[in-house]
Amino acid sequence: MAQKSYDVIIVGSGHSGGMAAKILTERGANVLMLNAGPVLDGTRDRVNKFAYELPYRGFGKPGRLSHVVQANEFNANQWVDEQEVPYTHDPANPYNWVRVRTFGGRSLYWARQSFRLSDYEFKSSEWGDSSENSWPISHADMDPFYRRVEGIFRVSGRNEGNLPQFPDGNLIEPNRQPDSTTIQRVTDLAQKRGWGVSKMRSSGGIGGLAASTNLLIPDALATGKLDIANNAIVREVSIDKATGLANGVHVVDRHSRQERLVKAKIIVLAAGTLESTRIVLNSGIANSSGLVGRYHSDQIYGVQVYASVPEARDGKAPQGLMGGQAFLPRFRNIRKDALSKFAGGYCAMIGSGQGAQAGHFPLYGAELQKKLASYAGSVVNGTIYGERPARYENHVRINKTVSDAWGIPALHIDVKDGPNEFAMAKDAADTFEEMFKTLGWEVFAKHDKFHPPGYSIHEVGTMRMGDNPKKSVLNKWCQSHDIKNLFAVDGSSFVTCGWQNPTITILALSMRASEHIADEIAKKNL
Amino acid sequence: MKRRRFFKSLAVVPAGTVLLAQQPATQPAPTPAAPPAGRGARGGRGGGAPAAPPAAVPDIGITAVGEQVQKFFTATQFATLKRLADHLHPAENGDPSAVECHAPEFLDFLLSVSPAPEQATYRVGLDLLNSKARTQFKKAFADLDAKQVDTIIKPLVVAVPWAWALPKDPGERILYVANRDLRTAHRNSREYAEAGIASGRRQPFPQAFLLPVDPTYKG
Repeated sequence: MAQKSYDVIIVGSGHSGGMAAKILTERGANVLMLNAGPVLDGTRDRVNKFAYELPYRGFGKPGRLSHVVQANEFNANQWVDEQEVPYTHDPANPYNWVRVRTFGGRSLYWARQSFRLSDYEFKSSEWGDSSENSWPISHADMDPFYRRVEGIFRVSGRNEGNLPQFPDGNLIEPNRQPDSTTIQRVTDLAQKRGWGVSKMRSSGGIGGLAASTNLLIPDALATGKLDIANNAIVREVSIDKATGLANGVHVVDRHSRQERLVKAKIIVLAAGTLESTRIVLNSGIANSSGLVGRYHSDQIYGVQVYASVPEARDGKAPQGLMGGQAFLPRFRNIRKDALSKFAGGYCAMIGSGQGAQAGHFPLYGAELQKKLASYAGSVVNGTIYGERPARYENHVRINKTVSDAWGIPALHIDVKDGPNEFAMAKDAADTFEEMFKTLGWEVFAKHDKFHPPGYSIHEVGTMRMGDNPKKSVLNKWCQSHDIKNLFAVDGSSFVTCGWQNPTITILALSMRASEHIADEIAKKNL
Repeated sequence: MKRRRFFKSLAVVPAGTVLLAQQPATQPAPTPAAPPAGRGARGGRGGGAPAAPPAAVPDIGITAVGEQVQKFFTATQFATLKRLADHLHPAENGDPSAVECHAPEFLDFLLSVSPAPEQATYRVGLDLLNSKARTQFKKAFADLDAKQVDTIIKPLVVAVPWAWALPKDPGERILYVANRDLRTAHRNSREYAEAGIASGRRQPFPQAFLLPVDPTYKG
């Protein structure tokens, strides 16, 4: 039987793959989407249980998913099995690679925070970062695509009159509720210091779901030009030796392990940052720069400072004193006359009206319960999303001695924290402490520790874009410098991560790259 | 996949637990077809698949019968843990204690299948508590009265503002870890849930549990 021929193969069904499928099929391309896992069925695959009904009373099976802090015994089966698809790292430098391989990928589970990068991130090298860390594009290049993505994903939030570090967007502005007194005091203090203050921005999606499976792929299917193959694990990209171009992908059937070669004119990798890079490394292609796998970047999460508002203790908070949240977009390294000792920036989130936690006090039993009851509702908490800047030495490579259940060589991840991360975390913790004390609140818990790399699930880079083929893997269209019909439209093209959750930028980049592909097909350049 | 089937499956892919909470607490059990009288499901004499089970097989659950066989702790370590559990999580406000909820027994099972570092935390820590009791009161930790237990554990209870940076001191570490784990094993027990329902003070809600979506294929 003659095989159906495709214009484009998209590897991955998450946000970036879904966006590529939508744009390319709507522009007339015949597309095959390959998804490494099965399709979840909410009625077939889930049941409701009490913790005591589970084998481990909610603790989870010890040792399983040791890298996935987000896992618990209820959701353990949604994550990639670390024995089935292993990766390695130096035990001294742990890396938490959090993966999902069901249809829709991590788009089914993301936290939906939706912040654009600003030119402080696109042109990071101008703001204290390494001279290597600027993108070949700017916010102005991305703005039209951000607008369209924000529309599709129904992003809500507050425009602030175009703060340079927090560009306005195509946002649904919710009704403005008055801030609580504590949040207003935080806001006043921050603004007195020249820092911007806003609210979180979040993708509403439809029905509480902002995934590729409900916002993107249905549009692609409606064109009649999208085929989807599930349980299809891509081993490597196939290259036509005569032309040097990609001509397909080798795919392993997840169930039978039968391998097939599926052909297409254009290959779009959208498997998630490190999976796409793994495919390219295992293919031994597109690496004339020697930079495939290099310049990993993500974010530090964990820094926490807690303060108690004295007049709110023992349930005595007057109405309107506590509650709500202030959001401070990047406020470090935004003035050239006041650059920090660390590169990059962080955003600060300050919540009001919470309680304390048992671990905050050196107490137990009745004494602890009394303390927790007294502090309930009186707590203000500060935490950050901070950039872990891209560095050459933070990289991934193939571990030739370890393979997954399908015989595909595994990734070795060599990413470690450096002085920049520690300095940023300390700055954040000290800043919160100073602010809360200035406001007359009792700081009772503070730490500047943070999770290992990968924890944020915001890993990006490793196939960075750039204008110079010797210093980058992809061009500004997410297109391989070496192989013109090979694209990577997920987070792997990032040059810098920024403090922002990367999804909305990944979506905008995928949309932009996909429109470029469609244009090039129309011009017969691809 | 046919388009209609695809959209049907999308309609049930949930957004976290939000949609899942709307599902019924338990899946309705399928009603098996009545087997032919006196024959296997395939109708063959003594062969083929077994007859379908009756509509409801009574099952009281293995945890309702017999006693758990202790696998991990020594007798002294287990007695120390039990004393600690009784002291930190006593019966109060009508709820059963951690001991009454068999939290120490559950931790014995959990630790028996845990990685070595977690096992060492408990073994070293519980031995240390017992050793302190012997030194200070010439008694096993399990035999201390409440005041004596306080004397030993109070200096070991420290603030842990970052739950992933456990205290390095083995005494401080066991106090934090055991307190945390006993609390979870206590609050997540069937006995604690049933006591809440019986008193009308708590109505536990089930959570969505994702079944293994596919068999895994290894090696």
